[in-house]
Amino acid sequence: MKYISETPLDIVGLFADAHHPQAGAIVLFSGEVRDNNLGMSVDYLEYEAHESMASKMVAAILNEARTKWPLDIAVAQHRTGKVAVGESAVVVITASPHRSEAYAANRYIIDRIKHEVPIWKCEYFTDGTKKWGGNCNCHDVTGDVNKHVYEFDQLKS
Amino acid sequence: MKVQVFAALKDYFDKEFELKEDVDNVTELRQYLTELNTSAGNMLKTCRFAIDDEFVDQNYQLKENDTISVIPPSSGG
Repeated sequence: MKYISETPLDIVGLFADAHHPQAGAIVLFSGEVRDNNLGMSVDYLEYEAHESMASKMVAAILNEARTKWPLDIAVAQHRTGKVAVGESAVVVITASPHRSEAYAANRYIIDRIKHEVPIWKCEYFTDGTKKWGGNCNCHDVTGDVNKHVYEFDQLKS
Repeated sequence: MKVQVFAALKDYFDKEFELKEDVDNVTELRQYLTELNTSAGNMLKTCRFAIDDEFVDQNYQLKENDTISVIPPSSGG
């Protein structure tokens, strides 16, 4: 499985491969490039990764998700390079017998990829400026660069 | 040892460079890089360091042929 891709993500192809006879639910999340951020008009994004490290970490996160939920399928791919508005920067697909596990696992995987995996975005705005950013600023809250605030934690109730 | 930097840090340092100075551990390396380019100081405070695709802690003793990656906070997705 390829976890980091320099070329456009084949969402349809990945989804086509994600069916499983024991899975009654498949959840596909696609993180896509918006045309605006913080009041600025976005032209495109460029992603960079520490590729070998990022690949190992995505694989490990998928394995951890499999230990937490009964998943028949767990795949994820993240783009590098230039990604246009409306294109997918990251896709996560989970499949399980019932939907609650597929939803929960999907949220867990995307949250951990966003916060922990060494992948960075640079925003290029239509006015010609650029900004490395959208950094996870969890350390401002937790006081520790290794501790993150996860949306999937907030969803538990 | 070799130092690799990523993302916004490339605006402050070469993407990859050889380090000949006597830097014993990660804490000293962070200090050294901050002195090399003080405007990167705030960013370096939030960075983590990795060797052979694994994060290492502040006390990790650097070895001569280590390639150390300086990893800013993630901003994927």
